[in-house]
Amino acid sequence: MFTRLKQRSNSQTTAQPSRNIALLLLAAVLVFVSFSLIASVLTWILLLVVCGAIIRGAIYFNYYKHLPSIRTLNLLAILSILGLIYSALSAGLLFGMVNLLILACALKLMKMRSEKDVYQLVISLLFLIGCGFIFNQSIGFSLFYVLLSLTLLLSLACYHAPSINIQKQLKTISTLSVQALPIGLLMFLVLPQLPPLWHTPKAKGAQTGLSEQITPGDIASLSQSSELAFRATFSETPPIARQRYWRAIVMEDFDGKTWRVHPYRQKVREFQLKTKQQFKPKLTGSFFNYEVIAEPTNQPWLFALDIAVPANAQSIRNIMQSGDFLLFNQQPIVSKYQYAVRSYPEALASQSLTANDKRINLTLPQKGNSRTQEWISDLRTKFPNNDDFVKAVLDYFVNQPFVYTLRPDVMLVDPVDRFLFDNQAGFCSHYASALAYALRLGGIPARIVTGYQGGELVENAGQSPYLSIYQYDAHAWVETWRNNTGWQRVDPTALVSPDRIEFGLRQAMQDEGSFLADSPFALARLTNIPWLNNIRLFLADLDYNWSRWVLGFNSEKQRDLFKSILGKLTPERLSILGVGVTLTIALLLSLFFLPHWLQNRLGTTQHLYLRALGAFEKAGTQRETWQGPSAFNQQIDEHYSEKISQPFTQITQLYLRLIYQNKPDAGASVLNTKQCHRMMRHHLALLKAELSKKPT
Amino acid sequence: MLHNKLDMAIEQSCQVLIGKQQQVKLALTCLLANGHLLIEDLPGMGKTTLSHTLAKVLGLEYSRIQFTSDLLPADMLGINIFDNNEQTFRFHPGPIFNQLVLADEINRASPKTQSALLEAMEERQVSLDGKTRPLPSPFFVIGTQNPMHQSGTYPLPESQLDRFLMRIQLGYPDKEAEKSMLKTQLGSVQHEVKAVMDIAQFIELQNEACKVHASDELLNYILRLVTFSRESNQFANPLSPRATKALLSSAKASAFINNRDFLIPEDVQAILPAVAEHRLRSASSDFSAQGSLSKLLLEAIDPIAA
Repeated sequence: MFTRLKQRSNSQTTAQPSRNIALLLLAAVLVFVSFSLIASVLTWILLLVVCGAIIRGAIYFNYYKHLPSIRTLNLLAILSILGLIYSALSAGLLFGMVNLLILACALKLMKMRSEKDVYQLVISLLFLIGCGFIFNQSIGFSLFYVLLSLTLLLSLACYHAPSINIQKQLKTISTLSVQALPIGLLMFLVLPQLPPLWHTPKAKGAQTGLSEQITPGDIASLSQSSELAFRATFSETPPIARQRYWRAIVMEDFDGKTWRVHPYRQKVREFQLKTKQQFKPKLTGSFFNYEVIAEPTNQPWLFALDIAVPANAQSIRNIMQSGDFLLFNQQPIVSKYQYAVRSYPEALASQSLTANDKRINLTLPQKGNSRTQEWISDLRTKFPNNDDFVKAVLDYFVNQPFVYTLRPDVMLVDPVDRFLFDNQAGFCSHYASALAYALRLGGIPARIVTGYQGGELVENAGQSPYLSIYQYDAHAWVETWRNNTGWQRVDPTALVSPDRIEFGLRQAMQDEGSFLADSPFALARLTNIPWLNNIRLFLADLDYNWSRWVLGFNSEKQRDLFKSILGKLTPERLSILGVGVTLTIALLLSLFFLPHWLQNRLGTTQHLYLRALGAFEKAGTQRETWQGPSAFNQQIDEHYSEKISQPFTQITQLYLRLIYQNKPDAGASVLNTKQCHRMMRHHLALLKAELSKKPT
Repeated sequence: MLHNKLDMAIEQSCQVLIGKQQQVKLALTCLLANGHLLIEDLPGMGKTTLSHTLAKVLGLEYSRIQFTSDLLPADMLGINIFDNNEQTFRFHPGPIFNQLVLADEINRASPKTQSALLEAMEERQVSLDGKTRPLPSPFFVIGTQNPMHQSGTYPLPESQLDRFLMRIQLGYPDKEAEKSMLKTQLGSVQHEVKAVMDIAQFIELQNEACKVHASDELLNYILRLVTFSRESNQFANPLSPRATKALLSSAKASAFINNRDFLIPEDVQAILPAVAEHRLRSASSDFSAQGSLSKLLLEAIDPIAA
């Protein structure tokens, strides 16, 4: 095997470098793709990828000339498969498949000996790039993957035509891609947007954003992140900042330190998922519609203003409403997710409280936080009326010198006591936790809701306004039940730091300087430099439009598009559209190919002669591709009877005369071109008749 | 009328070189296209006989230089000798000042001598001691060379091989031809070769051959061949523009010999092995692969496709 390889490389010394470039490019593509999926690729497989790339690099730079032997590779493949089976069993199908694909590519890279290997690798890599879109869909990654695909094409071109230099190849590739672009765009818009035929298996990824439990101090780390959480597009004017409380998770189980989602609610939700039963809240008052594009969180929670119900068919199918007025998706959100909801801001008050709800929302740990317990029992004796009592508790937050800070002291033992009476400095989760605890002590049902508050409003002319909500907008607040008013949102943070609610975290933290203190280069931190802020807003806008119009282009949007083009969707109009699109694609293709065709269009002489050749081909005699006309004529003379060879000789003579003879001479002779063609046709008819007589 | 002379020339030559009509035609084609000829074969195959016969038949002045390793350029080009009577230097022209020069076993001479000859071939003139002397017209060199693997040879470099319009091999005659050779040349009947034309007629024939018509389709065919040799990776040494010119002129001469006033692809195919093989590869070290490269080239291109 190796000697053969060596011979080949000797005989193709000129071709080899360019082919090596092609293989090196393939190696680079593999490395980049696998590192873009680093979160879900096993480390040892990445190691194999790097090994393969190093072998390719070494061969390219002539440090080393041997590929690993087939036997070594087979052994490696068997061991890797065993290893992969071991790790994939626990991690799920998608994970296993992606790893298998990368593994196969890496091994192929070490074994590229024949043309077949190269094609297989190219195709696998294209598929791998496709897989990349399962995990990364942002505009940056899309550009990155497009670049990788182009590199792949380039390597294919380099491999195919090694003697052409790389600049020329690049030009070819870019021309082809630009030509493909309009057709691709049209197909994206017009081809039916089918839902996935299979469910994307759960990708194993780190959960981001809010979590299902909250210990005062948790949200502080979230508020150091300037990553996008979700965007919401409103058809009308969005509500003002003070009312933008985005519900995500309700926590009702408190152990003195940490709030959790109550196990009962979790069970109900699982039951709901099994039976596909929706909880139907009472909907009253005015409402407004909006669309949300959520970033992947790997959690099922969705974000919406109080109280929201799914608003379009697709959302109704996928989104469930739970008993605590939360929206959750049937699968965790592993990629950008778009849904439409309708919110009834006044409906929260008109919900009912079941006995079960009441019990859950009054349960308290027996031990700990004794000072708070004493304080509340004093207060309760002073204010037996519920409203007065709540007012007194809230007044405490207002009157005491509470400070809103992102850098509170750590409170490990009796956190509520320490917060209320010693430190009196903290942020939303401290305030919410303390208030909810205090209210429960006083016998008033209360719970913590986490989510986001506020958001950055972007209003572009001619476009629906949209809000960008970042991780640092994460917030926690309290909901209490009172018999006369129903559920009410109470936000103690608003009492202490109204700036946080009105103007967002950045404004609130201006004095302290702790806004995004851990990421000094985050663009969001540098809003006081105008041009940087403009860049940030521009990037955010770009990302928003990408998510909304490209990623969010689903069957419904497609129908809207058709409607806006056709007015009304009737079968006739749809078929007209289909024909129109097909024609457009055909037109685009012909624009590209027409000059080519015109150039290659055969003259009559050529055409007639080729028809004669075709007749012989049918009869079983094929001209060798390199045979000239008179040589072939001679062959026919030898193999066929005179009846057949005679007309063909005539045809050949006429053909030679028309194609190769000096034109003015031909004109001066007895026959002109037209007469020659007529004679050719005549002889062709004779020939065909004779050939059809003769059994082959 | 002139054409008859050409046929007669071929006929005459074939009486001496029995069974070698193909090679004789190619050699004549080469001379008609005003090119130099390289004959490559083993000793005793009739290389010298062929050139000698051609010179006689075409009525050309003929000289023969036997190339050896100690042959100096002056031995070939001539020298200036001091004449005591006239007290000046007089030029004594060397054997190269002839219309047809047979450079026998060209690859036995040192590169210095080889290059002196090749310069004369290209420029058709000789520069000696500051004076340039034109060579007679027409001027042909028929080089013969032994295959490279024979001992004591200096292979001709690629650039010099390129100066030869054609390279042909004679090869062994078949049984019949060899028998008839034995009968005629060593038997009682001896063929006396006579000149069939004079120089003026030969030059006219050359001019006529130039007028053969080459259509656009045919030029495209030649260009496709040449381009393929450059774009494919199978040839170490693709065809140069000089080779393109050589292809066309030889094909014209070949068509002319076949009494046709326009070119067809078969003309190109007939001369391509002789014209292209030695240019595609620097030297043939492998006799078994003879003709394989030009065959590869020929079979890759369809002469009919537009």
